[in-house]
Order: sequence, then C-alpha cells, then structure tokens
Amino acid sequence: MKEVYEMTVNSIFGESSTNIWSFQLTELYLLPIFGILLLLVIPGRKVDLIRQVALTTSLLTFVYSLFFWFTFNHLSTKFQFIESFTFSDMHITAGIDGISIFFVLLTTFLIPICILASWNSIQKYVKEYMICFLLLDVMLLAVFTILDLIMFYIFFESVLIPMFLIIGIWGSRTRKIRAAYQFFLYTLIGSLLMLVAILYIYFEFGTTDYQLLLNAYFSESQQLWLWLAFFVSFAVKVPMVPFHIWLPEAHVEAPTAGSVILAGILLKLGTYGLIRFSLPLFPIASAYYTPLVYTMSVVAVIYTSLTTLRQIDLKKIIAYSSVAHMGIVTIGLFTGNLQGIVGSVFIMLSHGLISSALFLCVGVLYDRYHTRIIKYYNGLAATMPLFAVIFVFFTLANLGFPGTSAFVGEFLTFAGALQNNTWVTFFSATGMILGAAYSLWLCNRVLFGDLAKGVYIDITRRECMVFVPLILLTLWLGIAPDPFLYTLHVSVSCLLN
Amino acid sequence: MYPEIFLTATICVLLVYGAFAPKMSTISHKRKTQSIINNNLFFNISWLVIFSLTIALFLLPAVNGSSVTIFNNLLIVDDLTTIVKGIILISSIATLFISMAYVKKESINAFEFTLLLLLAILGLFCLVSSNDLISLYLAIELQSLCLYVVAAFKRDSEHSVEAGLKYFVLGALSSGLLLFGSALIYAYTGTTNFDQLLLLNLSSNLDQAVTTSFHTGFLIGIVFLSFGLLFKLAAVPFHMWAPDVYEGSPTSVTAFFAIVPKIAILAVFTRLYFTVFYDIIYIHLQSQGSIVFLNFCAIGSMVVGAFGALKQHKIKRLLAYSAIGHMGYMLIGISTGTLEGLEALFIYIIIYIIMTIGTFSVVISLRKSKNISDLNGLNQANPLLAFSLAIILFSTAGIPPLAGFFSKLFLFFSAMSSSMYLLVIVGIFTSIVGCFYYLRLIKVAYFSQQLSLSDTRYLFKSIFVTKEISILLGIVFFWLILFIFYPSPLFVVAHKIALALCV
Repeated sequence: MKEVYEMTVNSIFGESSTNIWSFQLTELYLLPIFGILLLLVIPGRKVDLIRQVALTTSLLTFVYSLFFWFTFNHLSTKFQFIESFTFSDMHITAGIDGISIFFVLLTTFLIPICILASWNSIQKYVKEYMICFLLLDVMLLAVFTILDLIMFYIFFESVLIPMFLIIGIWGSRTRKIRAAYQFFLYTLIGSLLMLVAILYIYFEFGTTDYQLLLNAYFSESQQLWLWLAFFVSFAVKVPMVPFHIWLPEAHVEAPTAGSVILAGILLKLGTYGLIRFSLPLFPIASAYYTPLVYTMSVVAVIYTSLTTLRQIDLKKIIAYSSVAHMGIVTIGLFTGNLQGIVGSVFIMLSHGLISSALFLCVGVLYDRYHTRIIKYYNGLAATMPLFAVIFVFFTLANLGFPGTSAFVGEFLTFAGALQNNTWVTFFSATGMILGAAYSLWLCNRVLFGDLAKGVYIDITRRECMVFVPLILLTLWLGIAPDPFLYTLHVSVSCLLN
Repeated sequence: MYPEIFLTATICVLLVYGAFAPKMSTISHKRKTQSIINNNLFFNISWLVIFSLTIALFLLPAVNGSSVTIFNNLLIVDDLTTIVKGIILISSIATLFISMAYVKKESINAFEFTLLLLLAILGLFCLVSSNDLISLYLAIELQSLCLYVVAAFKRDSEHSVEAGLKYFVLGALSSGLLLFGSALIYAYTGTTNFDQLLLLNLSSNLDQAVTTSFHTGFLIGIVFLSFGLLFKLAAVPFHMWAPDVYEGSPTSVTAFFAIVPKIAILAVFTRLYFTVFYDIIYIHLQSQGSIVFLNFCAIGSMVVGAFGALKQHKIKRLLAYSAIGHMGYMLIGISTGTLEGLEALFIYIIIYIIMTIGTFSVVISLRKSKNISDLNGLNQANPLLAFSLAIILFSTAGIPPLAGFFSKLFLFFSAMSSSMYLLVIVGIFTSIVGCFYYLRLIKVAYFSQQLSLSDTRYLFKSIFVTKEISILLGIVFFWLILFIFYPSPLFVVAHKIALALCV
C-alpha cells in the first residue's frame, strides 16, 4: 500500500514532496503519550504547570494533525499515511482516508478546548484529570486511524476506562455513579457482541485486517448476523433510540469537558463504525436492514425532540437534541447515495462542534450559578450580552440555520433521503421544526425575561478563547464547505462502489 | 527431580531449625517477649523459605521438549511439569511476601505456617509430575492435608476453624470420589499407569476390543476422577466450599488458595484429558455428545461466579465467587479439546494468577479488609494503591487494552473455532455481569463520599504497604498495562506447555 501511495503522491507532487512532508501516525500517537509521561513526573500540587503542559501537548497534537490535513492527497481514494506495526504478533496497519481525517482533526481540535474549558472548574485531582484527557486523545486517534478490526475493538472499548473515571470522579452529583455505571455497562454489552462477530470473522477469514476484508466475500446469512452484532454495539454508542438511556444520564453527570468529549467525539464512534465497517463490509445486510434503521432513526428524531421540550435540565436538553441529530445522521448513512452519506458525515462534524459549544455554554452558566435547572435562569441577556450572542448563535446553528455548518449537512442528508424514501424525509424534517421549537424556547427562557440572578460577570477572556475557534469553524463549514466536501466526495464514492 | 528432593530436605532442616532456634534465642535475649521471638523466627524462616524456593527455581530442568519418566513410571518430567513448577514457585514466592505482610498486622506468627505451605508446594510438585493414578492421589492428599491445616490456622477465630473443618469434610468427600474413580478405572482396565491407559485408549484399540461393559464402568471411573479434580478447582456444582473457606481462612491463606494450587490441578487435569483419555473423551464421547458435563460445569461456574458475587458484601467472598467464575472460563479451554484451547487455557491461568497476586496484595495492605465498604476513601488515603487496584480490577473484568482482556479473547476464539457458540455467548454475558461487581469495588474505592480530614488520616494510618508488596504491585501493574506491547513470551510458554501434552 505504501508503495502505491508514494507512487501516486510522486506522480502528482513530484519526487521531492514525500521527502519533505513525511508525517507519521506513530508520531501523532506519541505526542500525547509524551505529554502523559511529562505529567506523571510533575508533582500534583503544581496545578498551573500541569494545566499548561497538558494544553501545550494537546495543542501540539492538533497542529501536528493539521499537517496531515495539509499534505493529504484529496484526490486519492486509497488510505494514506499507511503505517504497519507488528503488534501482539499481528500485523496491524493504520491509515487515514477522506473520512477518518476529519474525525482525527475533530478529536485533536476538541481536546485542547476541553482542557481549556476545565481550566478553573476542575480543582481536585487536576493531574489525573489531564492524564485522562490526553489518554482519551491517544485512544480516539487510534480508533479513527487503525485499520484492523481487533485493534479497533480494543481501542473502542478502552475509551470506556478514562471516560468512566471522568464521569465518576469529576462528575457533579451523587447520581454520577449511576450514570458512570450505565455508560460503562451499556457500551460494554453492545460491544461484546461485536467482539463475538470479530472473532467469527477472524475464524472464517483468518485475518482482521480491514483492507483485506474489503475483498472478502461474506455470504448473505453471514452478513445478516454479523451486521446485527456490529449494529448493536454501534447503536449503543450512537445512541439510537431504544439504547439511548445512558446518554442523558452520562451527559448530565459528567463535568463540562466530559460532556463535550461525549457529544463531540464519543457519539461519533458509533456512526464512524457504521460507515467504516457495517456499510462496506456487509452491503447486502445494510440494504436489508435499511427499513429497520430508518424506523429507529425516525422514532429517535421525533421522540427525542418531543422529550427535549419537557426537560428542565439544561444539559439534558442538549443531550436529547444530540440523540435527535444522530438520528438524522443514521438516516443519511443508510440512504445509500452520495449526498446522503456525505451529508451525514458533515452533520457528524458540525454536531461535534455545535453540541460541544452548547455544552460549553451550559458549563459557563454552571460555573457561575452552580445549577443547571432552567427555571433559575432568566434574562441573562441583560447582564451577559456577549454570552447571549454566543448562545443564540449556537442555538441557531443547532436548529440548522442557513450559513452554519448544520444547514449544509442536513440539507445534503435530506436531499439524499428524498431520493430514497419520501416519508422518512418528511418525518425526520418534522424533527427540524421541533428542534427549532425547543432550541428557541430554551433561548427565550434563559436569555430573556426578568433578571432573576444577581451575578454580573460576562464570559471571561479564557472562555472567549474557547468559543471563538468553534464559532469560526461553524461559520467556515457553513459558508464555504467545499474543501471538506471535496475530500468526502472522493472517499464516499469509493465506499459506494 | 532435584527441586522436589531439595524441597524435602529444606523442610526437614527448617523444621529442626524452627524447633531449636527459639530456645537458643531465649538464652541470648532473655528480656524479649515470646511473641517478638516468634515473630523474628517467622520472618527468618519465611526469608529462608523464599530463598530456598528461589534455589529450587534454578534447579528446574531446562525446557527442551524431552519427557522422562522416573520411579517406575510413577512420575514424569517434561516441559509441562517444568514450566508449571516454575510458575508455582514464582507465585508462591509472591504469596509468601503477601503472607509476611499479613503477619505484620495480625499476629499469626507460628513458623509452621510457612513450612506447611512449603509442604503443600511439594505436594503440588508431585501432583504436576504424577504419571500414575496412585501418585496422583497421594500428591493431591499431601497438598490438601497441608491446606486443611493452614485454613484453620487462626486458632482463636471461629471462622477460620469453621473454614478448616468445612474444607476438610468436603475435601475428604472429593478425595473419596477421586479414589473411587481411580479404583473403577483400575477395575476395568487393570492398570493405573497413565502410559498404559493411554495405549489402551487409543481410538484404534477402542474400536476393536472394547465391550460395552468395559466402556460404562470405565467411563464412570473417568467421570468420578474428574469430579474429584473439579472439586479441588471449585467448579460448579462442586463450588460450595469455596466462599466459606475463602472468607474464613486468614487472608494470607486465602491468597495461597486463590493463587497457587489451581495451575497444578489444571495441569494434571489437562494431562488426563489431553493425553490419557483424549481419544475416549474427545473422539468417542464427543460424537455421542457426552462431554456435556464439562460444558455444564463451565457454564455453571461462569453463571454462579457472576451472579453469586453480585450480592456479596465481604471482599473475600466476592473474590471467591470471582475465582469460581474464572474457573468456568478456564474450563471452556479444556472442553474445546484443541491445541488452541489448551494454549488459551494456560495463557488465561497465568494472567489470572498475576491479577490475583495484585488483588490480594492490595487487600492485604488494608488493615481492615473484611467488608467491601472498607475500601471506602482509598483514593484519598492512598491514590497509588487505589489506582493499581482499579487497573487490576479493570483487567480482571476483561477491559481492553489490559492483559485480562487478551486472556478472555484467546479463550473465546478457541471456543469459536471448535464451534462452541453457547459457551462463548454465556461467557460474554457473564463477563458483563462480572464487570458490574468489579466496577463496584472501583466505585467504592474512588467515588465514595468525601471523607473528613481526620478520617482520611486514620485511613492513611491503617494502610500499610510493605516494601515487598509495593514491588510486587508495581510489577503486576506494569505487566498488566504493558502486556499488549510484548505478549510473545507468554505465548511461547503456553505453546510449549500445549506441545508437551499434545505431541
């Protein structure tokens, strides 16, 4: 593979390009690991130093991952930056294609934001907290880049350990234990079924290498069973409606940055798994089960949107709206045409930015007033104008306002779904209206009306620094999505063939 | 047989030393109280035992694929025995460190304790090497008798005596079963030697000359023999003794029960199943579906281990149920009847031993370690200890990328490849249930209510990690985390063991 890649790159960029730009995935993994090692030797009382080191390493990782994006060959359908390791006596390859590059970027982008967001709000066990986040960074990067089923499974699962600790230790209330449990066990039950499927694949084909398996032929009955086993595990992570109970709990109890990671990246693990494994490996089964997925997704969109209207907890509202948006993503994935799939990947990215930003907004409020119950908030626009602007911006983005990233994704998804099934499109579009209802109503309740609270601090400079990149990216994705869409088009059309 | 001979000699010498040393030291330090002298003697002898175990480690023959029978075919020495003995030695050294830490906080300091453990180790050695039903029985009795005594070693505690008695009565029953099985086998075949039984059981011979009556009696013999061994392994439905004995015995003895004997009994179990009776069990019986009882034991152990542990409040009872559950997973490896299954079994047991050493080192470091709620606030009192406990428990629960996950992975894979889907599915569901109670321990250690400063200080004082324990914990901790990067040595070991049996 590497030779093929080098040949294509050489033919396009000329001989020298590979020599100058040789970035390695291993180095990308090693950067946060280096940060963890550095943190381990710093004594726990030097809190500021720990924060700075964590932020710097995560930022360096982000910058390094940007180089991958710059040198990425957008015209190639192949996996790029291919690397092979001999790992546990297995031959593992890692690589990036036009789909996973965005998830890598999203991960490396959100981790520094998380660290920055929990700068002051986390006061106990700061060192362990930062180590957990850098560990999550490595594991998520590995999940998105490794092209091997067993290794994918291992990292997919191991994300549970730091996340369990983050919810359990730094969560806000005593209910956090229940939330951590639910999060852990739900995900574990789902993914162990995937493990059985992976073992079966290994037993049948003698390999778990993704690129080799793409050429393997699965019989129809095999596909139907394997697809189901994979689907359960991904559906828990997405989460699709019958399996979504853990999500509001986990979101509400996690610290702000934990919610950001959950909504921004962990939810995307499920849909990433679907697009990476379920669709290309089991095409017949994917077509066979499309009605099931459509039904579950439509139920998710409408039911969770209606549920959102009834919530009184700020974080729960955003959590349920995440379920609704992920429902639209799964509809898009199973449309089976270019617009649908590209649109749904685009929604994943935009949702990763917007819902993270909304959780950060809630975090800003929580830091000041230490409550998340809506009825205690009123008329914040009078005292926190800057915050009000940001909150309104992201609320509009959340409901798919034209000019923001969500609009592009949802438009493409519905365009794709319309070619396939009118009713599904119709019902999921109802979700958009309901989405507008709860988002605007939320905005209304929190920002306008009489002033109820007495703390008059607008967002600080640090919080501003957290929001500005998110706003810029949301606008960029909404106004000029071309660079992203081109890359996605190539990879997705390869996937469809 | 050098290690065995050496150990026997050591036991004799140390007994004499233990009998005379107190008198000599009373003469020299008249003012010291008796308990201090006993304590010193205990530590002297423990260090000597550890030293002699280390020497025995070097006396083990090289692993070279050869197999020798000695003492009129009573005993055998091959790669299996050598490697398993090595593991027994290393794990018992770890157990002795644990028990020394235990003695520091509780005053059971009779030096006979260590010597009884040494005698049990000798019994295990003979058990691993046994090549005849008679030597098998004698060896198993030697180790059981020593363990009955040490289970009841805390004489002033009712629980301990109760545990010893229970273990003794039920153990005697199982020995009876084992002996009855051996007698039946002898009655129907006229031999007790493994090699001759093997020749008799080769499938070609079975087809020609065996009558049905021969079959039935012989089969019942095999089943009884297996029951006797499954009892020692605490597999369902022979598990009843385990929770009581684990709970009642002094923690150091529990650690020994949980860590050391299992691999020896498994070794002889696999020798019976994979060489001596292989053809009759896996070829004759599997075609008739009669190997069901082993699958039943496996499923039963997994289910009882998982669900039984849910409601426990005592740490040691919980660990007992977890041991039962793990035994169920290991039985999967036996019931596959393949080389991969055997390898997976030994990978599993080695990783399990290491994890158990870790768990018990943490448990022993807490001064009060009876109830699960005693772990409360461990994270505040000693974050490092809490973190090691968390990693060890995550690994025991089988969460990747820790070592415990891989042990389960290989077992399930071997079961998949011999199409035992039921076992795999039960295994996976019970390991989810298992996660729940391991997580409960982590939860108690980490997420409990904030303790006041004085509580923390009290707790901090009550945690006592000796130097040896901290080294042990460090090794276990890094091994579990770093296993994923360099697992091949363990694979090679497991492969050598499997080859010794299957060739």
